[in-house]
Amino acid sequence: MSRLNREIARLSAAEIVQHIAQGNFSATECTQHFLDAIDRANTRLNALITVAGEQALESAAAIDQLVQSKKKLGPLAGLPIAIKDGICTAGLRTSAGSRMLQNFVPPYDATIVKRLKDAGAIVIGKTNMDEFAMGSSTENSCVGPTLNPWATEFVPGGSSGGSAACVAADLAPTAIGSDTGGSIRQPAAFCGVTGLKPTYGRVSRSGLIAFGSSLDHIGPLTRSAADAALILTTIAGHDSQDSTSAMIDSGDYSTALDESIKGLKIGVCREHFGAGLNPEIDIAIQEAIRVLADRGAQIVETSLPQTEFAVPTYYVIACCEASSNLARFDGVRYTHREPGDDLEQMYCQTRAAGFGAEVKRRIMLGTFALSSGYYDAYYLRASKVRRIIKQDYDVALESCDLILGPTTPTAAFRLGKHTQDPLEMYLADIYTVSANLAGVPAISVPCGFSKAGLPIGMQLQGRAFAESTLLQVAHQYQQQTDWHLRRPVF
Amino acid sequence: MSDSIDRETAMQVARLARIHLSDDAASECQHHLSQVLAYIGKLNEVQLPENVLPFFGATESVNAVRADLLVNSFPREVMLKNSPDTDGEFYRVPPVFK
Repeated sequence: MSRLNREIARLSAAEIVQHIAQGNFSATECTQHFLDAIDRANTRLNALITVAGEQALESAAAIDQLVQSKKKLGPLAGLPIAIKDGICTAGLRTSAGSRMLQNFVPPYDATIVKRLKDAGAIVIGKTNMDEFAMGSSTENSCVGPTLNPWATEFVPGGSSGGSAACVAADLAPTAIGSDTGGSIRQPAAFCGVTGLKPTYGRVSRSGLIAFGSSLDHIGPLTRSAADAALILTTIAGHDSQDSTSAMIDSGDYSTALDESIKGLKIGVCREHFGAGLNPEIDIAIQEAIRVLADRGAQIVETSLPQTEFAVPTYYVIACCEASSNLARFDGVRYTHREPGDDLEQMYCQTRAAGFGAEVKRRIMLGTFALSSGYYDAYYLRASKVRRIIKQDYDVALESCDLILGPTTPTAAFRLGKHTQDPLEMYLADIYTVSANLAGVPAISVPCGFSKAGLPIGMQLQGRAFAESTLLQVAHQYQQQTDWHLRRPVF
Repeated sequence: MSDSIDRETAMQVARLARIHLSDDAASECQHHLSQVLAYIGKLNEVQLPENVLPFFGATESVNAVRADLLVNSFPREVMLKNSPDTDGEFYRVPPVFK
């Protein structure tokens, strides 16, 4: 590895942008560095489904022109970023990890992709994911699983496992994921990177291939909270293309990072430390609590009493919404079609062959729960339980500024461990799904390693639209620890 | 809430979802749906307060309006490009009736 390559691999996102602006290295050199890294590692890790080599180098050359002619640069000028394959990129294949969309090339960019490009970011490729974001291990992908760079016999988490693995393995300095029940935070925890799910409505989902529309979020996966703040600043804000987009100002999330956390009240939720939590995770979280207390945070006990009902509530609602959202994949408009003697047979054969097993399971569960005679018992009841889960957050966050706990009950599990029993897989999301049901922001930050050498993640959840507080606490924690700076050897 | 379903219900759900099920897949589907529904039955344990309203999404906005501006749409050939079968002008599909 050359001196330049070693240097780039150590830099934060902000430093990469700064070096390119100052001419210390070019956007083309930087992009080529990451394309070379992908070339060396992707065959093994399978973190990217599509590499945007030519397009990325063209975009980088355009940034270099701006630098040379001393024109105004965007806030992310030259920064490579990997985008989850469930998010539309104009002219670049977007498969959502599904055979159904294997050759789908969107004619437009998702709003967040447009914003990133307008800010000068370079889309370097599309990352592997569980099909239509349904899964917690990135094993449900039509192109096969992504491997965890820390130990390749383990999963990277999911569904944004490709994005998390890319950042962990230095195949991209930053990435974008989506999170419907933990799909940014859980892979961030499993891969030792920082992953932020913003408040519902904070970041536009226009151009995200929908799974559960009332639960889907888009957010960054990065090496640090400071990098996450930089990306969020670009992608946040109202978008008229997304009717759920909030009319609330976003601003610069980097400004409050260095403010003291002295006196901030951090709630520790007793339901997060019960049966099922691996003792190694418990120890790492207790140590993280101590670090934050030493920085002046006030630690208080809090409670989210309905935590045990969050996963079943989530599965009813997410599957109902999925059954509706995925009705559009009918063999008419989006690339994949199986032959049929009549229209209905074509629909049924296309959907049987185009969707993978887990997607079909979830569509059918949702179809059943929404069908005549069952709606009240399943969807309506789950939506009422969702109300009291949301009320739990309202009460808990009255007496503290944020809630700290583990992101996951265990570190990464072995490939294939849960594929035969989807219910076990669903329980990997036990600490993350509630934030999607309530719509509150949450971030996962690396906070240690298991004895097997696998990363452990700490989750911080906050009040709606209080991403700044989460990023501030996460950044302050990362000023005191080096877990986020460690890199796997693979 | 019932926590198990029979094979006929599984087949009916698949028909509603427009997913062809082979015999083997129907058995697997019946087993899986029953297993998940048993798990979801846990929601019956929740003591719901009287008159609690459902929560359908975190914005709870009733409507989102924007200015009714005329904007460019994509050219027809661009939108048809991803279709598996077109006649150059329209999507082409098998007959609706046999």
